[in-house]
Amino acid sequence: MEDRKICGNGGCVQTDTIEAKLNAGNIDEAQSALREGLSLNSEEARALLGKLEYQRGNVENALEVFEGIDVEAAVQSLQAISSDKITKKSRSNSESGPQQGANLLLEAIYLKTKSLQKLNRINDAAEECKKVLDAVEKIFPHGIPDGFVETKLQETISRAVELLPQLWTEAGCYDEAVGSYRRALLTHWNLDNDSCARIQHNFAVFLLYSGVHVGPPTQIEGTYVPKNHLEEAILLLMILMRKFSLGKAKWDPSVVEHLTFALCICSQTCVLAKQVEEVIPGVIHRVQLWKTLALCCDAIKQRKTALNLLQKSLHKHEKPDDITSLLLAAKICSEDGLLAAQGIEYAQRALDNCKNRNKHLKGVCLRVLGICFGKQASVSSSDYERSQIQSQALKSLEEAMDLEPQNSDLVFELAIQHAIQRNLNTALRLSKQYIDVTGGSMPRGWRLLALILSAQQRFQEAEVVTDAALDETAKWDQGPLLRLKAKLRIAQSRHLDAIETYRHLLALIQAQKKSYSQLQTMHQIEDDRVNEYEVWQGLANLYSSLARWKDAEICLGKAREIIECSSETLHSEGIIYQRRGQIDEALATYVNSLLVEANYVPSKISIGAIMSNRSLPMLPVARTMLSDALRLEPTNRMAWLHLGFVHKLDGRLSDAIDSFQAASMLEESDPIEGFNSIF
Amino acid sequence: MSTEQRVSWSDSFSEAQTAIQSLTTIISSVPPSVSSSDTPAVALLNDPELATQISDHLRQPDSGAGDNQLCRWLYDTFHTSKLDLQLVVLRFLPIVAGMYLSRIPLRKPLAGFEAVLLAIYAHETTSRNGQAMTVNIPDLSHPSVYHESRQPYNNASTDLNQVVVSPGLEPQGTIRSTKRAQIIGVALELYHSRISEIPVQSKVDFCEFCVVWAGEDGEFYKDFPNEDKKDEEDHEMMKEKKEGRILLPWEMLQPMLRILGHCVMGINKKNKELHEAACGACRSLYARAIHDINPKAILAVGSLLKLINYQKACVDHTELPVTRIIHL
Repeated sequence: MEDRKICGNGGCVQTDTIEAKLNAGNIDEAQSALREGLSLNSEEARALLGKLEYQRGNVENALEVFEGIDVEAAVQSLQAISSDKITKKSRSNSESGPQQGANLLLEAIYLKTKSLQKLNRINDAAEECKKVLDAVEKIFPHGIPDGFVETKLQETISRAVELLPQLWTEAGCYDEAVGSYRRALLTHWNLDNDSCARIQHNFAVFLLYSGVHVGPPTQIEGTYVPKNHLEEAILLLMILMRKFSLGKAKWDPSVVEHLTFALCICSQTCVLAKQVEEVIPGVIHRVQLWKTLALCCDAIKQRKTALNLLQKSLHKHEKPDDITSLLLAAKICSEDGLLAAQGIEYAQRALDNCKNRNKHLKGVCLRVLGICFGKQASVSSSDYERSQIQSQALKSLEEAMDLEPQNSDLVFELAIQHAIQRNLNTALRLSKQYIDVTGGSMPRGWRLLALILSAQQRFQEAEVVTDAALDETAKWDQGPLLRLKAKLRIAQSRHLDAIETYRHLLALIQAQKKSYSQLQTMHQIEDDRVNEYEVWQGLANLYSSLARWKDAEICLGKAREIIECSSETLHSEGIIYQRRGQIDEALATYVNSLLVEANYVPSKISIGAIMSNRSLPMLPVARTMLSDALRLEPTNRMAWLHLGFVHKLDGRLSDAIDSFQAASMLEESDPIEGFNSIF
Repeated sequence: MSTEQRVSWSDSFSEAQTAIQSLTTIISSVPPSVSSSDTPAVALLNDPELATQISDHLRQPDSGAGDNQLCRWLYDTFHTSKLDLQLVVLRFLPIVAGMYLSRIPLRKPLAGFEAVLLAIYAHETTSRNGQAMTVNIPDLSHPSVYHESRQPYNNASTDLNQVVVSPGLEPQGTIRSTKRAQIIGVALELYHSRISEIPVQSKVDFCEFCVVWAGEDGEFYKDFPNEDKKDEEDHEMMKEKKEGRILLPWEMLQPMLRILGHCVMGINKKNKELHEAACGACRSLYARAIHDINPKAILAVGSLLKLINYQKACVDHTELPVTRIIHL
């Protein structure tokens, strides 16, 4: 092992010798040994002694030695070399002459600062540090000359620049901290890339988390100036990310985490996705990258993309057991009937991985599995299969409930599933429980309760619930409830009251449109806003049932302004024709609506109904149409009713009786809107 | 900063004295260090003994009722409109909001808590003039003050991307149940905006409530983000029923996360008690985020957990490297 020694000016001194003298309390002797051995002046020797003490951890002794060093002298020595030619660091790692002296003294003052910091005299430390930087700035008003790069002097200056804001922060002087951070970044200190990146990093962290408020940086013409701390932090973090990409700074994984946090707070996961994508390949593990991107995409409702990414990361050669990815994939699939089967698979895989750390997630896996089963049941083509899957859905959800009785979301899912399966009493109890545990804070809880009551044909009570919900809802967010209320009034044949409610609703929509156009930003409650198209459509149907054709047509016109070509509008138009006796026109319109949307159930039923009224040869057509409708919507009462007529006309009486019975049973449990509409 | 503080201090002196006076009628013994303080508002904010007493009071079973004297006191104190006295009220926000939310399903009278929360909400609504709070997401194609080469503005480049951090506010006369989360979220935003002045104990209280609200066991994520160690002794699944788990919609979760970020990475990060509490809160909320399969929360809280981990391996670059041979 190499001896510990100090070398310079052609001489060498054993560190141990000096330290022995220091240990014996002979500071003067130690100093003179250094002076003679290394040809230093007394000031320089002192500085070196302090450094030795500091490195040995004798901070108090070091400070004592440093106290004897005159800052002015150090500044003067710096001044002296400012005009000299600067010699670059030579191979022997040493500098000579006045530059070496200046360096020693400046370093001494820096170490004095560090000593003060360690002794918890933070304010003194900050003042001392600031003095150094002030002096340096005064001597080099146009920035530190390039010749200083890679000298020890520059190293000390860079350290001081980095230290000062940290000291001010520790001292609780936040204005000064921000000031010194900006001074560090906006003045030419000739910092090397890594230390500049570190300062930017530290500053971003300070801005992001300190909770301190200091004004924005001064305007520089023609540049973007962040207007608050969050903006400034994000800007700095993005600049750092860019530096990493360009290889200008060493990759620091915490930067991307800070940026993730900041952008999530702003709900800007799309920006985050872009930032993460730009990272040089290989820095972030590809599976981690896909997972992050998938989370980003899901957060902005780009579910397809998210699922694609998850499929890659869950591939058997990647990380097929990652439970978060499995759950997210299953959740995405649970929202689409065509993907539900795939979702079941993911959820089951997640369930299989509920081991060790993930044990607590069993309830979640079962919940998602239940929801996927529920969705799968809704697209199932056979009765038998459907009822099988439905009972699996209930079973999974109930098992989840056993594990997580306190999870209110689960209460809701279970209520919905029971409602869909027409276990209305259980559904009613659960939906009330949901309102209780959420304190009525979720609009969807109120809506579900009202719909269940409507399915029990308890329209008045449903309206009372809707009114209670309206009381608990601010004017702005009342849209969906008002629409429900209008439908409840129609169900009670209170048509004029319903029209009144629709008018109210339209006024609300107008007001919303006006206010949103002023601030063209996405609104978080957007999901809860009622769809203007649906309102016109509902009103059109109402007028049409009152035989007010003109009004109905005006409403349909309005609806068409919003969605030009829609099966629903065409169907309403068909009904008007049919009610006025223009059967051929009606039929043509229904067919058109099926051209727009091949699986549009109401039009299938209407066509089936018209066909069954024609001649016997048309009955098979009618039957096909109605069976098709029932395949898509097995609980559609009108389809069963018309199918009953077809059977009867065809002479299949027992089939007819079954169909009529189904229709009548469903009538007693039909909600005014599908339970699926609440999400 | 200091001059501003001094002005508001002398300004609020008599009000703070009055507040202390009326507090003596509610709380058994106001510590003499507070009642005879030269800086009564500062004493009200920082005295740990007084804080414990008030906190205990707020946690009593009937504390949130409309006729509760302490709620009344908090309400009146907030309405003095003196910044430093409002801060005293905000200091107790975690407990007020925490007790309030956990009692909602119990159908207890809560008008006292609601009055305090509404007062804070109304204050914020007025001071923001109902406007949404927005942030410009920077775009590096715009040269900024921190760019190395500053080319002039290129007008052809894209517009700034302005996003809403907190939506516009409407005045609320009562707490409608569907607005509850937003009202508390806004109160938490105000808490966050003054968080650097708030005593550490209040932040610890907040972190503890995060754990209650999350209602999930964070212990599983002690080593996060390291891989789970296989075949370890089995964590016993905690079968005890967790009281106080609440829905965490984004309008509430977002300010919660900002406060938590401060507790983990902010100016008090060296305080051990707070750090422990904040780490615990992060772990519970992470477990909750996965339970809710909430992508934004998974990302944000996951980041905080990773940052906690990186913090442990931090190198101090302002320290001089120690070498065996010192070259001059």
